[in-house]
Amino acid sequence: MRRFGSGNFNEYERNIKLKSNKLEEDHKKEFTSDIEQNEKIIKETFQDCSDLEYRQIEVNHHIKWLIVYIDNLIDEKMLDEYVIKPMITTRAKTEGDLKDELIFAGTTNISKNVSDIVRNLLEGYAAILIAGSSDIMTVAISGSVKRSLNEPSSEPVVRGPREGFIEDLSTNISLIRGRLKTPKLKVEYITLGELSQTRIAISYLKGVANNSLVDEVRARLDSIKLDGVLDSGYIEEFIEDQPFSPFPQVHSTERPDVAVAELLEGKVAILVDTTPFVLIAPMTFWAGLQASEDYYIRWPVATFIRWIRFLFINFAIYAPPLYVAITTFHQEMIPTDLVLSIAASREAVPFPAMIEALLIEIIFEALREAGIRLPKQMGQAISIVGGLVIGQAAVQAGLISAPVVIIVSITGISMFTIPRYSFSNGIRLLRFPMLFLAGTMGLYGIVLGFLGIMLHVTSLRSFGTLYFSPIAPLKLSELKNVLIRLPIWMKFRHSNNPSSREDRLEDLSGDT
Amino acid sequence: MRTFKCMILLMLVILCGCWDRTEINDLAFVTATAMDLSDDGNILCSLQVAIPSSTEGGNRGGAKDNQFFIISAEGKDGNEIHRKLQKKSSRILFFSHRSVIFISEHLARHGIDDVLDIFTHDPKYRLKTYIMIVKGGDGRDILKMKYPFKQVSIEAVKEMEISGQDLAVTLRDFYITYASEGVHPVIGAIEPDSYSKDSDKEIYNFAGAGVFKDFKLLGLLNEKETLGLLWVTNQLKTGRITAKLPHGGEVGMVLNHTDRKIITKNSNDFVHFTIQLEGQGSLAENTSSLDINEPENLNVIKSALEGAAKKQVQDFLIKIQKKYQVDSVGFGQELYKNNPEKWAVLKNQWDSRFPEADISVEVNLTIKGAGMIHSSFDMQNKEMRK
Repeated sequence: MRRFGSGNFNEYERNIKLKSNKLEEDHKKEFTSDIEQNEKIIKETFQDCSDLEYRQIEVNHHIKWLIVYIDNLIDEKMLDEYVIKPMITTRAKTEGDLKDELIFAGTTNISKNVSDIVRNLLEGYAAILIAGSSDIMTVAISGSVKRSLNEPSSEPVVRGPREGFIEDLSTNISLIRGRLKTPKLKVEYITLGELSQTRIAISYLKGVANNSLVDEVRARLDSIKLDGVLDSGYIEEFIEDQPFSPFPQVHSTERPDVAVAELLEGKVAILVDTTPFVLIAPMTFWAGLQASEDYYIRWPVATFIRWIRFLFINFAIYAPPLYVAITTFHQEMIPTDLVLSIAASREAVPFPAMIEALLIEIIFEALREAGIRLPKQMGQAISIVGGLVIGQAAVQAGLISAPVVIIVSITGISMFTIPRYSFSNGIRLLRFPMLFLAGTMGLYGIVLGFLGIMLHVTSLRSFGTLYFSPIAPLKLSELKNVLIRLPIWMKFRHSNNPSSREDRLEDLSGDT
Repeated sequence: MRTFKCMILLMLVILCGCWDRTEINDLAFVTATAMDLSDDGNILCSLQVAIPSSTEGGNRGGAKDNQFFIISAEGKDGNEIHRKLQKKSSRILFFSHRSVIFISEHLARHGIDDVLDIFTHDPKYRLKTYIMIVKGGDGRDILKMKYPFKQVSIEAVKEMEISGQDLAVTLRDFYITYASEGVHPVIGAIEPDSYSKDSDKEIYNFAGAGVFKDFKLLGLLNEKETLGLLWVTNQLKTGRITAKLPHGGEVGMVLNHTDRKIITKNSNDFVHFTIQLEGQGSLAENTSSLDINEPENLNVIKSALEGAAKKQVQDFLIKIQKKYQVDSVGFGQELYKNNPEKWAVLKNQWDSRFPEADISVEVNLTIKGAGMIHSSFDMQNKEMRK
């Protein structure tokens, strides 16, 4: 099913196993009925953690309570209001009684198990220890800091919803639920990361998504073993079918509307806590060329824009190689007037065309990278350096020829017409081998490269769906959602995977 | 093992092709070739080579000096000449962009079979190159001329050929015609313009066509005869015919659409051809006092034009039939298509039988309009005849 190419992985897995053995022992440990002993257990577990707070409360001089929590993870106000205040005024003597009293404080758990309590503490619960009882109660009063909902910066639209996912998982789920008010929307939690204990949610529409797809996603996620998950990119690398492909096989988006549209098509969304990027599987080649806005603007325009993208993705890969191949191998293909003006512009240039193109390409990539990493205030400096110094001065100095600058600029523009960032990154990488092939073998090399890319793309699979479908294998009925964007009333949006569609129809009839 | 196999495969892919990378600025773009006959009977070959010079700010209009230069070499055969020419150039001579090959009238009369052979071998010598006869002069002189519209003067010749008003023959056409039965090749002709006295500002103009037989130029057709040739061979895209009217004055017509049909009839031993020419167009000139609003007058004009056209075509036919005695139109080919048995009989003696063939011409013109003004702008002064 999945191929992990690196040998290092096995070693890594072994380390994880050792660690988990130790954790296994901790799991079995239980609290005693002695409150001092219990306090000691917690203190030992959280040794050198200065942010752990203890508050001892004595009510009526005989009930001794100890509240333990991690500073900053909980909301102090809630602690005072919903925990300490009821405690002081209560007549309860046991946890069971106390639970009833504190019911308005949200989620409460009771457990003897040390590791449960420890995990709850780390999730922003306050633990309440009571003298003479081994049952320890935890109350959820977490108060972490959340970012407000902003427009996603990686996928801007002119028309369409402006909300984007944020780093908080529950907010993200609520954003999806807000758009799909049906119990068919399932959300399954799992936890990944031995140390980070990151919550992951698998979300799909029951009856729309293919059951085997959901099982496959679940199985792949379950097999992941790693220390920490900082972004969904970590997960993506584990679950993709072909880790050595330049093309992303899992779709990542920051937009809830995109995620919902994909769920409606029978795909599975993987939400990861602490990152706004939601993974969607399976992904096809064409998904990389579709923007959410395609479905919000009128269809003739959307179709036109789609074709512009098809045209420019080819430019992005083939424009510089074609220029290099034709000017160094096939000069007879250029119209006479053009060949003379290209020859004139190359008259003073000391490098071969391929080196020239590579040089400019690499400078362009550096400019682009610098533009992303630079503090925003300095962005202008980059455009001045890039545009003026390289564009004009280098041409005037005769270091590079003007046609190459034009070609690379066109390529640069083409790159930005690809709506999916990860997809355009893949395309970006393909340009360099293509350039090399063109510079050494001419059009023959380009054809070889093209064939190579096509072979790879058509054999690539993402969670069982062929990456290039519905073009290869050709499914005429589904082209209307790919090559053109038909009016929404003329079609019902469904999956690129026909089996899931049939499945859904069956499931829906079975459900009702 | 797998990587090893992959590497072998990769090497097969990379190392098999021939490494023919040439930078564009290491090439000398030849735009035209001229072939002349030198005094001692050798072939003098001249190449016009473009100088790629930057056209900053896009001010290409107004040809700058020295946008091209000429290299010449003399030799017995094409290969020897090529070698000599390459020795004079620091860059590799690149012939794919050559648009025209000029052959001087002198050399053409001498025979061009040896000259043309070299163009048939190397694929870089394009068969779409135009071939032209230089009427009464040397090809070299045409190459030297500057043309105001174009950086490289010979590109203008290409543009003139493409416009389709004159006989445009490419190497390919020439070879095909030569290889075909029952037709002999013709080649367009060019001459230095006789009106431009200043030698520095000399330009050229097209001057009819040359009639070939067995790689030898037999003679030249003038412009009117060339129109006849184009029409009869169905190559006429646009043309102008003028006729004198019986009552004085002249009318001119622009042909926009033409058609022709050759009908063969054979009675026993004799072959008879009827050429039916169709033409559509509009009046371009009317210096007579006829009011063309009247349909009758239009008929007068029409028949006058038809007569003129017929005469023009007949003049041409007489010239090739009686004077040069060569079937440049391809009547033999028509016969072959319509009556293969007859052709099989006549095939070997066609060259001697063609001058005796009976050819009649029928012209049918359709006047579609008279342009912006109907009769003549001088209508008020002239007494219009109704």
